[in-house]
Amino acid sequence: MEFAVEMLGITKTYPGNHFLANDTVDLTLRKGEILCLAGENGAGKTTLMKILYGMEKADAGSIRVMGKDVRIASPLDANKLCIGMAHQHFMLVDGFTVAQNVVMGIEPTRFGCLYDQQQAVKRVEEVIRKHQFSIEAGKPVKSLTVGQKQQAEIVKMLYRDVDILILDEPTAVLTAQETDHLFHTLRSLAKDGKSLILITHKLHEIKEISDRVAIMRQGKMVGVFETSQVDELELSRLMMGQSTALHIRHGATPEDRQAIIRFKEVSVTRHGQQQPLLNRVSFTAQSSEILGFAGVAGNGLGVLEAVLGGFLPVSSGHIYHREKEITNQSQRQLRSHGLAYVPADRLRVGSALEASVQENLIIAARASFSRYTILQKKRMAEHTRRLLEKYSVKGAPGMPIGTLSGGNIQKVILAREMEQYRDYIVLSEPTWGLDIASSQYVYTRMAALRDQGAAVILISSNLDEILALSDRIIVFYQGSMVAFLQGDEARDVSKQELGAYMLGLKCQQEVLHG
Amino acid sequence: MAYPIPILHSAVNIMTPLLLASMGGLFTELSGMLNIALEGLLLMGAFCGVVFTYYTGSMVLGVLLGILCTMLLSAVLATVTVNLKSNVFITGLAVNLLVSGLTVVLCFELFANKGVVVFDGMPALPVLDIPVLANIPVIGDMLSGHPAFIYLSWLLLAVCHGVLYKTPFGFRLRATGLHPTALASLGIDPNRYRFIAFLISGFTCGLGGAMLTLNLGAFVPNITAGKGWIALVVIFLGNKKPLGLLVAALVFALADAFSNYAQGALNIPADFILALPYVFTLLVMIGFSIYAKKKDSIQS
Amino acid sequence: MADTQRHPRVSALVRDSAGILLIIAIALAALVILAFLLSKTPGKTLWYFFFGPLQNTYYFGNMLNSAIPLIFGGLGVSLAMRSDNFNLGGEGQIYSGAFTATICAIQLAPLGIPGAVLALLAGALVAGFLGGLSGYFRMKWDTSELITSFLISNGVVLMVNYLIAGPFMDTSTNLIATQKIPEAFHLPLILPPSNLSSALFLAVVAVFCVHFYLFKTKMGYELRMSGLNRQFARYGGIDTKLYMVLPMFLSGALYGLGGGIAIYGTYFSCMKEFSTGMGWNGLAVALIAKFKPSAVIPAALFFAYIEAGSRNAMLHSDVTFEIASIVQSVVFFLVTSEVLQRVFGKKGDR
Repeated sequence: MEFAVEMLGITKTYPGNHFLANDTVDLTLRKGEILCLAGENGAGKTTLMKILYGMEKADAGSIRVMGKDVRIASPLDANKLCIGMAHQHFMLVDGFTVAQNVVMGIEPTRFGCLYDQQQAVKRVEEVIRKHQFSIEAGKPVKSLTVGQKQQAEIVKMLYRDVDILILDEPTAVLTAQETDHLFHTLRSLAKDGKSLILITHKLHEIKEISDRVAIMRQGKMVGVFETSQVDELELSRLMMGQSTALHIRHGATPEDRQAIIRFKEVSVTRHGQQQPLLNRVSFTAQSSEILGFAGVAGNGLGVLEAVLGGFLPVSSGHIYHREKEITNQSQRQLRSHGLAYVPADRLRVGSALEASVQENLIIAARASFSRYTILQKKRMAEHTRRLLEKYSVKGAPGMPIGTLSGGNIQKVILAREMEQYRDYIVLSEPTWGLDIASSQYVYTRMAALRDQGAAVILISSNLDEILALSDRIIVFYQGSMVAFLQGDEARDVSKQELGAYMLGLKCQQEVLHG
Repeated sequence: MAYPIPILHSAVNIMTPLLLASMGGLFTELSGMLNIALEGLLLMGAFCGVVFTYYTGSMVLGVLLGILCTMLLSAVLATVTVNLKSNVFITGLAVNLLVSGLTVVLCFELFANKGVVVFDGMPALPVLDIPVLANIPVIGDMLSGHPAFIYLSWLLLAVCHGVLYKTPFGFRLRATGLHPTALASLGIDPNRYRFIAFLISGFTCGLGGAMLTLNLGAFVPNITAGKGWIALVVIFLGNKKPLGLLVAALVFALADAFSNYAQGALNIPADFILALPYVFTLLVMIGFSIYAKKKDSIQS
Repeated sequence: MADTQRHPRVSALVRDSAGILLIIAIALAALVILAFLLSKTPGKTLWYFFFGPLQNTYYFGNMLNSAIPLIFGGLGVSLAMRSDNFNLGGEGQIYSGAFTATICAIQLAPLGIPGAVLALLAGALVAGFLGGLSGYFRMKWDTSELITSFLISNGVVLMVNYLIAGPFMDTSTNLIATQKIPEAFHLPLILPPSNLSSALFLAVVAVFCVHFYLFKTKMGYELRMSGLNRQFARYGGIDTKLYMVLPMFLSGALYGLGGGIAIYGTYFSCMKEFSTGMGWNGLAVALIAKFKPSAVIPAALFFAYIEAGSRNAMLHSDVTFEIASIVQSVVFFLVTSEVLQRVFGKKGDR
């Protein structure tokens, strides 16, 4: 009975959008070990753990805890099995104190119905002191720093006498010091015989804290390794996927490129966070080129996309379109100036699931289909048919787009945006979830757009894509540009080296400091 | 100044059904549901309270049966809203519509009268004179000599406060409204607390409604006339805390008592006065939205 | 999945209707139970309820006539709902629209038919303003338009009551009502001896217009996309702020138009509280029609049938008219239930 947890053949599909989150995943956790569950965003890590904790139900598969077959239907069941979970987005009621949050559900009482607040505070303080945390049980949660809230989240687990701890991205918002302190705590817990699973994608932390690491990608378990036997770069390779042979020729370098989109010292800050989301970013996207932005999720790519797409205002700096200022223009204005934009969030931003394929297809071009405000159905139908055929979309024009597979939905979005660009197009994670053939088609179209003179801005966490397509590459790390590769540099750089920039291991100082 | 005293005295009387309804509404509000069925539940309590008292001859029994019926109705409301996942506003409307129709139908069935039904031989509301309090000059006249109901409602308010802030139930209820996912992540079902909150509102409205009709010894169609809506305003103005409810309810009751006086003496059209609850609620809602929006924009 | 793709429209229709038919069946079952509980002659009561409105032209025509304001109201709520706005202010909108149309019609009598049309538009405008106000509050401050439209409506009803009973009352009759509109403005009756007027045609035209607007024009498309996914609409460059206010305005205007047309066709003067319940029924009609303009007519007929049946049962039997509100409340209770809707959606789900 050396395994604390065995998960076998776990499969889960989310019904709303047919998303296969977990695909026959096996996971084992040894007693007294710290296991890191690693993978990119959307790999399926959180879903798997939510299943273990009873917050989600698997479609297939079985779970064994301490050698016994179990059914975990709710967090109560999980608690009874001594499993606890600290969530990525804190499950804390701001208006209550730490103690009140921690004891919720098992509050100590006097006379059976009166809440014994003093006893609660006392017992929570005991747990806090035992693990040398720095928070006070009687303080309201809203007055805590992010790091302290994380501690409170963990105390919630420890108060309940758990043997198996699940921590979801525990260091996402912690400073280096707080992370050290947390790891110290985790190590002593493991020494006490507790078993821990950490969900993370921070490679250096995996190396620092874990005994073993299990890597997931796109819903599948890719492999489990002894941490001592893999290095960070290999980890990143495993997390991001094998190199696919992409046959894209790089464009010739015409001399008469024009500046289409220019960012000048653009910064985005958020109230309450020290680190800016974008830090003095400056670049120029030119016509007839593909400008690729690379980075690990959470390092500013999403923010860049939001700024380009017009739904996040910048705190400082300027953005120019053909040298006309467009800083902080609305989405409406950007569209009228020719924005073509394929968003990463296909379902919530890029489409309306209940509207038909045709209705999704024409949204940006609706004005061209209406004469005296009446929609010209025949022309629309013809246009739709032509595009669906051109992009090999499997689906009828009249069906709600939500009935199509994820890949086909993306094709509709691509068809829409690519066919009506004017001088630039922004694509974010364009081939996520697409099969090889479809991805290839997308790349061919992107190259064609470039050859026609478009400024193609590609934001992607898929390194193969970036390497195969980009004429120039900019790497982001923690909101700042840390590398700028062009010409031969861009052509010859290796995945390892790009990975190094993305993980903050390497940095082009001159790029960072403008 | 002789006339303020009767106004103050009647204000305390008027305040009670409002306070009771808002107490129940507070529980549902804290559990995250906008409960507009307070109006219908009050009317239900008013009807059942007086009818059962008439039939049983006992006020206590009549009121208890009335409360039971109102709680049954609130259980139906809770089931349809929480368990069948319906829009809480529409189901609240359904309750109001149901009760207004049902009371007329039953009045017609039982008493062959669709209008005001006066009941003969009704027991009078027991009035209490509080010994020490009665002797204090202004306050004494205002607070003493009221029907026992009123003192019961103050007791209930204290119990309310105790339950919300000093019992695990109260904490979990408030968590349901503030962060239901946090509760769910600990294995506690927020729906259970929403359901109980509805039942509590049925209880308080059953009691408060009964007071309206037992005061008169008669049932008047639509006797609640917007009090359920004012109860919601009271909850918001009272900052969703029991003590605040008391203050806000008193303010409204004073306004009401004064307007009764004004209607006679100052000739303001009745319709304008009837419209006040809705205008007030509207202004409060808009005010709160502006405040919430400003708070939001500062934070981001 | 293959089945759905072969006959997508039919199976979707069946699935949608099944839920609604279940709810209607439950509502009618409630009615039957009520009849047995309350009436000493339940058989007679039920017979008059179900067949009374159909037994002659008078009752049948009157039933159709009472469906007309419901069609306008149902259209209004459906239009608003398509843009993700809940218009609960129907009572005030229909009443204020009717009142305004009446007063303007009286004033504009010398202008003849154009005057009649102007008066109707004035009524629609006032009611539309009330609806648009709620939409504006939502756009500006995120205030729930559902609540504000309801509150404004309640206040407006009381205000119009005051105006009718006070400054605008026609003292020559015993009714609390305004003066009558000019004879020339009366809409012709099309099924005497009932009071069914040619307003029926106007209602059908309105259904076509709203359907056309929603599904065949660019604005209708923008409105619908804003309602389905506001983020997506904004992403595509649609002015979503406009579509928070405009649909509410149009929704109120439709209600107001319905009120004015009711005056022109049936009432001829604005009587105090003549339109009570029409607003709520309009809402119920839209809920049952699932916000499809084409389904508004059968839904409105259903509601008109319930009311006509209740009235008939009341006249010929020993129950009171208010059973109608009990049946209607059952519909309200159930019609927004996600659980009930999913019961029929589970098979062949996407």
